[in-house]
Amino acid sequence: MATNALKSQVAAKWQESFQRLNGDAPGISGLISFSEAWTISLNYLHPLDINTVPLSADGKPYGKDLELARPAFALVSQCRKMPALLESFLEDMRKQFYLVEREITQFMNAYEVDNSPETLQALVSRLMLWYKAWAPPLDSFGHTLLATYTLSFHTHLFSSLPPSFAVGFKSLCSSLLGSPGPTDHGEIWTHFDILGLIERYESAIASVAYERIEEYVLETCTGEWSRPMLEDLRVWMTDNVVPWMIHVYGRGASTADEAKAMLQGAGSRFDFHINKTLCDLRTREIFDIIIDFPDSMGALQDLKECLQRVDQRSNLVQALRKANAKRLLHPGADTKIILQQYVATIKCLRIIDPPGVLLFKVADPIRRYLRERPDTIRSIVANLVGDDDTGDALVDENEPVVPLQQPEFEDYGDPNWEPEPIDAGPEFRTNKPSDVISTLVSIYDSKDLFVKELQVLLAQRLLAMMENGERVERERRNIEILKIRFGEAALQVCEVMLKDMTDSKRIDVHVQSQKPSVVHPTIISRHFWPSLESSEMVMPGQFQQLQDQYAREFTVFKPDKKLKWLPHLGTVHLNLELEDRTLDIEVPPLEAAFIELFSQKGVWTLEDLIAGVGSVTRSAAIRALSTWVDRGVLKENPENTFILLEREETGGAPVRENRHIPIAEEATTLIPPPDHQAEQMRVYWKFIEGMLTNLGTLPLDRVQTMLKFAPGYDRTVEQLGAFMEAARREGLVVVKDGMWRLNK
Amino acid sequence: MEQVTSSLAPPRASPKANVASSSQQVAGSVAKRLSSELMTLMMSASPGISAFPKHDGNLFEWVGTIEGPSETIYAGMSFKISISFPSNYPYVAPTIKFDTPCYHPNVDITGGAICLDILQDKWSAVYSVQTILLSLQSLLGEPNNASPLNPDAAGLWNNPSAFKAQLMKHYRPVTDSS
Repeated sequence: MATNALKSQVAAKWQESFQRLNGDAPGISGLISFSEAWTISLNYLHPLDINTVPLSADGKPYGKDLELARPAFALVSQCRKMPALLESFLEDMRKQFYLVEREITQFMNAYEVDNSPETLQALVSRLMLWYKAWAPPLDSFGHTLLATYTLSFHTHLFSSLPPSFAVGFKSLCSSLLGSPGPTDHGEIWTHFDILGLIERYESAIASVAYERIEEYVLETCTGEWSRPMLEDLRVWMTDNVVPWMIHVYGRGASTADEAKAMLQGAGSRFDFHINKTLCDLRTREIFDIIIDFPDSMGALQDLKECLQRVDQRSNLVQALRKANAKRLLHPGADTKIILQQYVATIKCLRIIDPPGVLLFKVADPIRRYLRERPDTIRSIVANLVGDDDTGDALVDENEPVVPLQQPEFEDYGDPNWEPEPIDAGPEFRTNKPSDVISTLVSIYDSKDLFVKELQVLLAQRLLAMMENGERVERERRNIEILKIRFGEAALQVCEVMLKDMTDSKRIDVHVQSQKPSVVHPTIISRHFWPSLESSEMVMPGQFQQLQDQYAREFTVFKPDKKLKWLPHLGTVHLNLELEDRTLDIEVPPLEAAFIELFSQKGVWTLEDLIAGVGSVTRSAAIRALSTWVDRGVLKENPENTFILLEREETGGAPVRENRHIPIAEEATTLIPPPDHQAEQMRVYWKFIEGMLTNLGTLPLDRVQTMLKFAPGYDRTVEQLGAFMEAARREGLVVVKDGMWRLNK
Repeated sequence: MEQVTSSLAPPRASPKANVASSSQQVAGSVAKRLSSELMTLMMSASPGISAFPKHDGNLFEWVGTIEGPSETIYAGMSFKISISFPSNYPYVAPTIKFDTPCYHPNVDITGGAICLDILQDKWSAVYSVQTILLSLQSLLGEPNNASPLNPDAAGLWNNPSAFKAQLMKHYRPVTDSS
């Protein structure tokens, strides 16, 4: 059927092919020699079982003489049949690959039993042997054909590796990374590379490195806050991880610079990972880091540096807020502790984030919580005046004393003005790094509260101290310091109080010089002192006389002033002479008054005693009397009737030895200043007054919505209603048809 | 009557709020400043001056009250003013005018406009509502007769009894119905 044309075409092809194989050789001798060369070549290449054939030094099976095969290869190559040869060889390899597979299975089974990376390492070496034994000679085949072989070998290899190999390989890498002496592993990494394992398992290798970094960071840095760790970590990475990385990421680099360039990507990823791990760790530890401040300076510096690299600021805020809510802001924590932690938080977060955005976010719940605590002001003020026995003062002694900073408007003319940081909240105020006291005082809306509390505290302390000039001097020093903070005007009252103390002494010296007396009063100016609890108590008997005597002398000295005694304050030094014993003690006035009454008669009922000293509460009276009962001076028999024991009773009521006798357990009773709630309401009242002045009359719900202008207003309309009603009763406002207006 | 106006007020105010929200960024910092000025003003309590925002939710329109300083011809009177803050406050002075007719050399008797240097060319961002109100209060007792808005009043200033008569003729006491 073939046409002539086809025939001639086939003939031409045949001729061409024949020509190619036969060459210029006579007859078909060329063909025969090619056939011989082909057979020799294939035989030479044939993948043998390396378990049965011994291997020569270069990893080739014995009996394969390259010198013999080379002319054959040359001939095949000359006939341009190299690719065909390779193909048949690869086909042979595919058929023989079951040998390798068998070995892989053996090793993997062994690995599953012992789980040791060495087994895998042995497997890899073994695979390498197979690879080398089967590889066609490079000089005859050239790089391209060799690469084809490698690729084919990889393909077969990967398809026969079981999934468990990936896991095992990871642990092998990890053991390589963990063990020292990186030089040992250069070879095995080359093996990995040749076998294509690095490329295939790159993510596994990277995760090994990440895990290693995490492990190391946690191991070395947990709880280690005193010094910055980041530098050490970087050094560690250079020493331990980088040499390892060169094998993985820097393979094939010829010069150091090239290797460096190749490592850059991976290196910065690892460095980031160090930062992130450290940052996470410190974020978890932040609460304790703050507790340890200033010993945890290093950790704070690390955190600052990490946060610049890693965007974890909001995590830090969240973590710290959560820790604060859980560990700090609960009823079990002492106000002083909360304040200390707050101050430490301020200092710490200022280090981490100088603009104060983090601080603002973290501080808000603490400040709100502190505002609700009734004793916050007292704690702060006690700290201000150095009334701190634990020595753990909030305020650093070295910190310069500066005036309180008022929350100011932004100074638009400031040449160093900077915009608010990008993650600042809407309420954020660019608070300049201010001193701790200003920050604490700013928890409340006005500093008046502090000044009032300060006066009360000072009054207590001054009245409690007994003629001790040194203490007064200390108070004076305190006041001078506080004056710088709060301003001269705010502390004028305190000035007067201190002056009263010294004046009292001066006056007393004068009065005593005119007519010696055992009474040494502290004379205070009523207007300037916080309201002292008044008492109806009247000192009986000789006390009364002494007081009157002293008052007369005083009137001579200061005719325009009148003494008003507060007999329930102070102490009395008594010399009690009984029939069989003499007592020399110092007691509060009420105790003294009672015992004075017993000098009139020996038996008193409780009611008569109370009547005898004017008027005191029953509980106070019983407490005072029990002091004497405990001392064995009085006896209660029957109930509410007290008998003076001129002779000590030995059998009846033994003196209880281990009972502490409470003398003046409450030094001075002052009426507490108006509490914070009322103070807040006073602020709101100003707003209500302001809106009613300007807007005339308003219904209650408008007042409520308008009060949104007042910062921190959180009352319900019912609370407001009650407040307005109270204001109406005081005659400040009037209401008509639900419309409120000022009462003018 | 009050019921009707107050129920009408929100819809009238709402377009304004929309305008304000378009420039939210700017309004935020201005509102912050105004809010703290309000706080300062409320807490400082200078006698005879006061001001408060007109509507809830809008810090840019205020109503103020100034009482005539004692020992001046205005003693015992009180004047309502309206203060309107521009969106770029405090770079630009607020617009202020008298709502109560005020017979004064530097005040326009019909429109209530005020001629005061710190409200015009001498304005500076360091001034606040409080300083403005104090300036206005002292302006009542010490007019600047050199540049009068009301030449009649400037002419009569040195004749207190005639001035007082004119003043009382125009003055409408503040009522609560406003």
